[in-house]
Amino acid sequence: MWADMQRSLLDAILDELIPPSEDGRIPGAGALGVAEFFPTAEAYAPDPMGAVQTILNAVSGEFVALPRDEKVAELKRVEAACGQAFETLIRLAYMGYYSRADTRPYFGVGAHPIHPTGYPVERESAALMDQLTAPVRARGKAYRDAK
Amino acid sequence: MQNEPVDVLIIGAGASGAAIAWSLLETRMRILCLEQGPRLEDRDFPSRDDDYELARYGKFSCDPNVRGLKQDYPINADDSCITPVNFNAVGGSTINFLGHWPRMKPSDFRTKSLDGVGADWPVDYETLAPFYDMNDRNTGVSGLGGNPAYPDYKPELPPIPIGKLGQTLAKGFNAMGYHWWPSDVSILSQDHDGRQACVNAGTCDLGCAAGAKGGTNFTYWPMLENAGVELRTEARVREILVDDSTGFATGVLYHGSDGQVHEQRAELVVVACNGVGTPRLLLNSTSKAFPNGLANRNGMVGKNLMFHPLTGVAGVFDEPMLGHEGPMACSILSQEFYETDPNRDFVRGYGLHSGRSTTPMTYALGGYGIDNPIPWGAEHREIMDNVYPYLAGLTVVSEDLPEEHNCVTLDPDLTDSDGIAAPKITYRLGENTRKMLRHGEEQAKEILLAAGAKKVLSKNDDKVWWRAGWHQMGTCRMGDDPETSVVNGWGRSHDVKNLFIVDGSIFPTAGAVNPTSTIQAMALYVGDSIKTNIETLFD
Repeated sequence: MWADMQRSLLDAILDELIPPSEDGRIPGAGALGVAEFFPTAEAYAPDPMGAVQTILNAVSGEFVALPRDEKVAELKRVEAACGQAFETLIRLAYMGYYSRADTRPYFGVGAHPIHPTGYPVERESAALMDQLTAPVRARGKAYRDAK
Repeated sequence: MQNEPVDVLIIGAGASGAAIAWSLLETRMRILCLEQGPRLEDRDFPSRDDDYELARYGKFSCDPNVRGLKQDYPINADDSCITPVNFNAVGGSTINFLGHWPRMKPSDFRTKSLDGVGADWPVDYETLAPFYDMNDRNTGVSGLGGNPAYPDYKPELPPIPIGKLGQTLAKGFNAMGYHWWPSDVSILSQDHDGRQACVNAGTCDLGCAAGAKGGTNFTYWPMLENAGVELRTEARVREILVDDSTGFATGVLYHGSDGQVHEQRAELVVVACNGVGTPRLLLNSTSKAFPNGLANRNGMVGKNLMFHPLTGVAGVFDEPMLGHEGPMACSILSQEFYETDPNRDFVRGYGLHSGRSTTPMTYALGGYGIDNPIPWGAEHREIMDNVYPYLAGLTVVSEDLPEEHNCVTLDPDLTDSDGIAAPKITYRLGENTRKMLRHGEEQAKEILLAAGAKKVLSKNDDKVWWRAGWHQMGTCRMGDDPETSVVNGWGRSHDVKNLFIVDGSIFPTAGAVNPTSTIQAMALYVGDSIKTNIETLFD
């Protein structure tokens, strides 16, 4: 789908859009392979590959070798110049990154499909609810009569 | 193509269509329901997929303009700050609603008398209370009795867990001395009536594959079809037909799943297509007797569109709030600022809802009902790692007042896949609502800080959530005066004596609570009125 150079460039861009955590525990979007999401994303944007190509064409050919702060500056320049395509790239990058089951646990959310197991959440005891609602009940009626 | 005539033809298999069908069962009339969407099978619910969040931006979006499925109709909302959302399938928008189930309050039915705004309803809370109870029994409702914000009633099932997020916020409300209460929800806190309890998946908008949420696909429709009600799916009504000599509705023309246009005759027609779909259908049903749309002699069809404009404030806490665990919209609800207070610069009021946090992708894309992605780069990393897991928020749900210039009309160019004119929304946020939302934001900030938030995130941009037109009301309002309303006090058209409307379009005012409980209670009330008046129904 991607020529090697294009893929390297796209991965480098994605790693700036969603960078890895400083401790390396959470990978960036490029390292995670989010590039592979774009060709499958037609249901979520009118022309995903067109948007990606626009950005790849607009970014400096030296991008991959630039130091981090210059990469960010270059992407801000491209964002200003190619607003619509850049917005599409961001939206799809977020979708590609966070739709992966293996990323959700980094944010405290289960990797599993949400049905059928969901999450075990214990109902508060009657005593706790009594305690929490006591001040509300003590204030008494809290609606207007309409007669 | 013609079909065998029926006694009652209901258009729409969502909240209100299902409820009135149930009410009319005992009449033994032959009842047919036409639904433009399909039946959803278990495999259709995306929450069983690894990448379930993606569906929220595709085939399971709440926005028909995003879904773009054959059964959907596009909506032109270019002239509105809120776009209507819905779902088209058996169950209607109860497929993707969030199951929050507060009742309207006694004052909601008397805003004109009490506060000089809006309009009084022809029914009051006491009249409707038995129908709320009846509907709750059919639906399965969880909650905590004794809420001092209402006349006494008790949900049948115990409350769902309010969770760490709810407990934290409750302490904030208590510290401020404000009202709050665990939300009533049409979500099962325990197995009930052959249905499975909620598993706290937190993705109620993607349809409840467990059947714990009270969508009519899981509540009313199994009962109705067992009792012989016919449900014809993928049947989109093009127009309601009338006999120009008698002025009575005779039936409908609809596009069937076979691609053909069918005629279906009926003695009585019930429209249940929600606050945008219903005026759209009536305006598309023109005839010699009704050149400006059916039941529209006074020009009121489509006018007085009301939503519940929303904004939100979030607090960042020291510990993870686990906000993605549990029913999505509902933990606790405060009605501290619900009633009119002469010391404020607005009339009526709003609720503060503690919706739970959403899933990571939706948060990164701006949040549910919003479409404004968070920043990229280092700031993105900081927000997702150090803000998102620690969030608990409050949503300000405001009462909209009826204003005639807020309306549904027909778009001159846009059509659905069958060539039927699409609705166009014209909507401006009222000044009263704007003041209410500002007040709500300020109160929410104080409550979050009182609950222990170390930082409060607020947009402060005076904008309401865009993809948030879940509650569509007022466009075929009920009333005693045929000059100012479309249907009478029990849902019958003033102009067409065998035409009834039962969805949220008949609400004269909006209240500030999620409307489905009231929509269904009203549908049961209309059904009961039909039975009570059966001897003189068309007089």
